Amino acid sequence: MVSKASDSSSKLRKSHAEQSGDGVGNLLYKLNQLKKQIQAERIVSIKEKLEKNKRKIESDVSHLFSTTSRRNVTYTQENGFSNMPLCKYSGFSQGLGDKEYANCHEVVFSISTKLPYMEKIPPYTTWIFLDKNQRMAEDQSVVGRRRIYYDQHGSEALICSDSEEDIVEPEEEKHEFTDAEDRIIWMAFQEHGLGEEVINIVSQFTGVATSEIQERYNILKEKDNDKDLKDSGDSGYEVGISLDKTLSAALDSFDNLFCRRCLLFDCRLHGCSQTLINPCEKQSYWSEYEDERKPCSDHCYLQLRTVQDVLEGSTINVSERKKDTNEGSAVPSDAEEPGADNDTDLIPDGRSNSEKVLSITSEAGHSSVVAIRALNTDTSTIQTVGKRKALQPTEEELNELIQVSDDLQNSSSKKQKKLLPLDVITASSDAVSSMDAKSSCHIGASSDRDLQMITEDSKSESIEHVSEKFTSSSSVLHDKVEPNIRGEAKDVTYEPELQQTSSKVEGSSEWKPIEKELYSKGVEIFGRNSCLIARNLLSGLKTCIEVSSYMREGGSSIPHKTVAASSFLEEHRKADTDYTEQEMPTRPRLLRRRGRTRKLKYSWKSAGHPSIWKRIADGKNQSCKQYTPCGCQSMCGKQCPCLHNGTCCEKYCGCSKSCKNRFRGCHCAKSQCRSRQCPCFAAGRECDPDVCRNCWVSCGDGSLGEPPKRGDGQCGNMRLLLRQQQRILLAKSDVAGWGAFLKNSVNKNDYLGEYTGELISHREADKRGKIYDRANSSFLFDLNDQFVLDAYRKGDKLKFANHSSNPNCYAKVMLVAGDNRVGIFAKEHIEASEELFYDYRYGPDQAPAWARKPESSKRDDASVPQGRAKKHQSH
Amino acid sequence: MAKPAIGCEPLVGSLVPSKKRDYKVTNKLQEGKRPLYAVAFNFIDSRYFNVFATVGGNRATVYQCLEGGVIAALQSYVDEDKDESFYTVSWACNAGGIPFLVAGGINGIIRVIDVSNEKLHKSFVGHGDSINEIRTQPLKPSLVVSASKDESVRLWNVDTGICILIFAGAGGHRNEVLSVDFHPSDIYRIASCGMDNTVKIWSMKEFWTYVEKSFTWTDLPSKFPTKYVQFPVFIASVHSNYVDCNRWLGDFVLSKSVDNEIVLWEPKMKEQSPGEGTADILQKYPVPECDIWFIKFSCDFHYNAAAIGNREGKIYVWELQSSPPVLIARLSHAQSKSPIRQTAMSFDGSTILSCCEDGAIWRWDAVPTS
Repeated sequence: MVSKASDSSSKLRKSHAEQSGDGVGNLLYKLNQLKKQIQAERIVSIKEKLEKNKRKIESDVSHLFSTTSRRNVTYTQENGFSNMPLCKYSGFSQGLGDKEYANCHEVVFSISTKLPYMEKIPPYTTWIFLDKNQRMAEDQSVVGRRRIYYDQHGSEALICSDSEEDIVEPEEEKHEFTDAEDRIIWMAFQEHGLGEEVINIVSQFTGVATSEIQERYNILKEKDNDKDLKDSGDSGYEVGISLDKTLSAALDSFDNLFCRRCLLFDCRLHGCSQTLINPCEKQSYWSEYEDERKPCSDHCYLQLRTVQDVLEGSTINVSERKKDTNEGSAVPSDAEEPGADNDTDLIPDGRSNSEKVLSITSEAGHSSVVAIRALNTDTSTIQTVGKRKALQPTEEELNELIQVSDDLQNSSSKKQKKLLPLDVITASSDAVSSMDAKSSCHIGASSDRDLQMITEDSKSESIEHVSEKFTSSSSVLHDKVEPNIRGEAKDVTYEPELQQTSSKVEGSSEWKPIEKELYSKGVEIFGRNSCLIARNLLSGLKTCIEVSSYMREGGSSIPHKTVAASSFLEEHRKADTDYTEQEMPTRPRLLRRRGRTRKLKYSWKSAGHPSIWKRIADGKNQSCKQYTPCGCQSMCGKQCPCLHNGTCCEKYCGCSKSCKNRFRGCHCAKSQCRSRQCPCFAAGRECDPDVCRNCWVSCGDGSLGEPPKRGDGQCGNMRLLLRQQQRILLAKSDVAGWGAFLKNSVNKNDYLGEYTGELISHREADKRGKIYDRANSSFLFDLNDQFVLDAYRKGDKLKFANHSSNPNCYAKVMLVAGDNRVGIFAKEHIEASEELFYDYRYGPDQAPAWARKPESSKRDDASVPQGRAKKHQSH
Repeated sequence: MAKPAIGCEPLVGSLVPSKKRDYKVTNKLQEGKRPLYAVAFNFIDSRYFNVFATVGGNRATVYQCLEGGVIAALQSYVDEDKDESFYTVSWACNAGGIPFLVAGGINGIIRVIDVSNEKLHKSFVGHGDSINEIRTQPLKPSLVVSASKDESVRLWNVDTGICILIFAGAGGHRNEVLSVDFHPSDIYRIASCGMDNTVKIWSMKEFWTYVEKSFTWTDLPSKFPTKYVQFPVFIASVHSNYVDCNRWLGDFVLSKSVDNEIVLWEPKMKEQSPGEGTADILQKYPVPECDIWFIKFSCDFHYNAAAIGNREGKIYVWELQSSPPVLIARLSHAQSKSPIRQTAMSFDGSTILSCCEDGAIWRWDAVPTS
């Protein structure tokens, strides 16, 4: 249909200018023709559908029939009814006409089988158990939905659009175009051009806004173009596997779905698409000394270095020997020289060797730095050969050097002595140029230390004097050398890389973009630790060896720092923009209904109106504040949303740990944080092992290694966090409806459990409260300034605890890891299997009449007579 | 409701009776004064296709339709709780083919009656409020679903007494569930509707192992791992008021609200996004004076016709599968004035029973065409 129209369209458009006079009438006629055609097609299509469905039903029914009759064959008549009917009522064999009198038979039940009495259970609405609060999903809102109630005593179904203050205004909804409408639009514009008049006519004809029609036409045009492209055989577009995606695309869903507070995906409490908060204080890289590291797997680069173990052993020998020389030999003052001299001697052996040797020297000086390790990790088979070569001379030289130093000591020439170490140092610094700056510093440091040793050990004044000068000169020298080294370092690190790329091509498999990005993320997280990167980020994709060789080849050339920086910036920017948005979408999109649902928007005029429905509030008058992590960098200033909202900054905030608005936790030692002396307890917060100094948590039986115990006893203020709750039983209440009971006895102030539910806005709660009041059953709990807990459809057994003015429990809103949660605590000693009550704390005007009576329950609807009046005739 | 867009118009049946078939009153019984809410023929066992049951008040009664308009009362059951008011009844059977009568009502207790031994087989306590409809899986007649005021639909094995699945929760109904029906051939599929104005289609495919497990469960029924099905596969908003009856017609759905019509629509699901989709309204079957809720229609075994009563005691018999719909007959009688809560069509559609608010049962038989 469409293609036909487009064929003729070009011709028609040319002549459009001339035709425009009668074009409109023509168009209307055509539109009507098309409409008729579409409607005729619709009728045909319905008929076809029904015909198809009919055939299906026929086969279904014949199958069903065979199952009913098979039952007949398989089982004998004995299962049937007794052949003795209670009574027979003869009918009107000819049938009655409309006006004839129907003689009515009164059915007499001579014998009736009794169905034994069965006690019914108190009424409840089916609910889902929640072990933690959930934020309401968007589609669960009753705000703006029309709800129909029936009058319990009257007989009509009433339409209740809530109350008068709500003005119903239909929400602007995007029109969903049907195929037929598409055809109309296509035909009209293809044949008559995109004139305003045409658009207006089409708009009138279809009843869709002009702007939407224009938009739709553009979409259709694009689709048409796409179709043409596809027809021309250009279908090379394929969706690849996830590995071909970029990391940022993959991370996007991670950032959207992963909750950094609960550490799980699709968090129902904090929602997806949370504002990303990046801590301004980055955690330091994973630092684990290489020497202590065990090979991570068979493919660990450390395995490659087993050859080197021997060498490393020898280095240790060197250092040990060095010690020996320090202690044993008569010349301890020159002990510093072996290392330095090594370098000097080794320079001829080649650069790659010297690099290695330097690292050895640093090991010998017991100073290994991450940076050096990173260089070490680059070691490959080729280099080990060189290294071994390099090392053998070292040992030889060492012996020689001892002799040299002997000679040195013997020589009384001060000048000579002064010069030699200087030479040594210059030489070493030359060699050092093949290393990065840090290690050189360490060499400097170590040599300084050694030189100081000289000063201590040497008795002669002159020597002392010289060495003093020497230290100063050498330190000056180091200062000079360092910048140079830094400058050179870059060139040098690249050199071996080039060598490696040429020599190791066959070993490294190809790196996909996502793997590269994962790698650079890994460097960001773990530093240049191939074991951890391979294990945590490239598991199953790359081995440790591959990672380590990549690290040497090109990985290091990826400016991961800048990547990190830019992403950080981006995130930060995002965080800033997102900040204004407080409401987050809570549910994956697929559950969101759109389109056909009738949505009505109510204007909210009654924000402050007194609600008649009851709310359970915890004793305090001022309501808690909802905490939302701030994204402030470093210190929080006046702009900080936490400060603005009146909440403390928490560990989830971006700001620095030293932020003045941070809650510092407690330092309680013996109190177990069970009294108001604990600042956490006093502030209505649970202790947080991450923040409080002495509040620790033990894990398992301790076999996995326990954190050091810092306090005397275990903190008693983390009971919601650790779910140290009592077993609650659900049973028929002694008072009314359902009740919550305790399985085991508890003492005063013991934690019983959490009151969980759906987190809804106050506005939503106002609406729901009215609905619940009609059903005379409410499970709303005022949580904080933003949210109300509703346990009506989702919650736990504690929602069934009844109200009492003389309760044995109390509810308390606690701040647990940034979230307000409701804990139910024992007000007194409670015996096992006692029913639990707490004071709902109705406001004086809020409580419904029945709740004002002492010892009443929140649910007495069981006593309300429930007729079936609702179903009756409306007039 | 908004005017349907061009190209999506449904075919509306004409209210002029086609006189394809004519029905005449052949019997009228009066079961006390309490309203009768449900009447149902036994479609489970071909031996008993002429047996039907009614419920009303605390009573359930089994009858048999005989030749010449004769109705035989076979059995009667009375709940000892006088406050019980049964709203629904359905036929089922156990694995051995013994017919069961399953009834439920205001008390929320499902009564499973072994009619061949005339005794109570089991009672299921679990629903938090009254039960509005019970339907039997025709392919596995020991499975029944119940729709309740407690906002849930539950799947039971009447033989072993197990509550297998609860269709409620995050994506569930937001008010009383009024009606539920099994798909005739897709054993996993059910449709439910209720006071939240929606029709929801559910699939129990992922939970089928639990259904199978229920047949061999020997432990206490309370120990069975009952599962929640929280998300329907399709939600249709084809009505803007209470939806009080829905039935499958092949892969299409017939549903009615208080808008004086039954609507036939096709659920068009989006495979990638469960829960989403559109309902294509294909046909409408007008039923005048049918604007109160809790009026249910019934189909014959072959789904050729549906019969529905109205507020004024008249019955409309629609040919379901013709396009456009054809009104087979409009049944009325001067003495039938009371609202008809439910009808029952016999296996071949030749007999129509109606049960009324005033406690009367009317039997209509098709007049043989000459």
